[in-house]
Amino acid sequence: MRHYELMVILDPSVEERAVAPLIEGFLNVVRTGGGKVEKIDTWGRRRLAYEINKQSEGIYSVIDLKATPEVVKELDRQLSLSESVLRTKVLRPDTH
Amino acid sequence: MAKPPARKPKKKVCVFCKDKATYVDYKDTNLLRKFISDRGKIRARRVTGNCTQHQRDVATAVKNSREMALLPYTSTTR
Repeated sequence: MRHYELMVILDPSVEERAVAPLIEGFLNVVRTGGGKVEKIDTWGRRRLAYEINKQSEGIYSVIDLKATPEVVKELDRQLSLSESVLRTKVLRPDTH
Repeated sequence: MAKPPARKPKKKVCVFCKDKATYVDYKDTNLLRKFISDRGKIRARRVTGNCTQHQRDVATAVKNSREMALLPYTSTTR
């Protein structure tokens, strides 16, 4: 099990109320895969430094989790398939 | 004619070494903005005064930050 930090930018058309359930839905992969979600920090709406998919805003969320590499790979794949996710980044902070 | 006295380069201390930082966070845009020019370019080490290792960490953090649209790749708002 490794410590990962995941950042997702969600489409701004997602409603404020729908953000948390949406993220929880994605994180089910981690929970069923034996991982642990440690912290979810939703920054909320934020201006993007440049346009992504014609959007100038995005909903940022930072998630700390512990999981195996395979689970994280699957999570990232599912996120990238989702229409409401603009961009993701997975980092391992302890390797730096 | 005597040459003007050569300016003594002030030895800068790396801000990260001073704080004993181990990790430069790509999410801390306020900090990273100090290390990019108003055009969005990463400042050189001779300008920032960072040590080799921390300059590298800063560069990586800025690049990660750009990928997540927290910092601009270019800003031509001039």
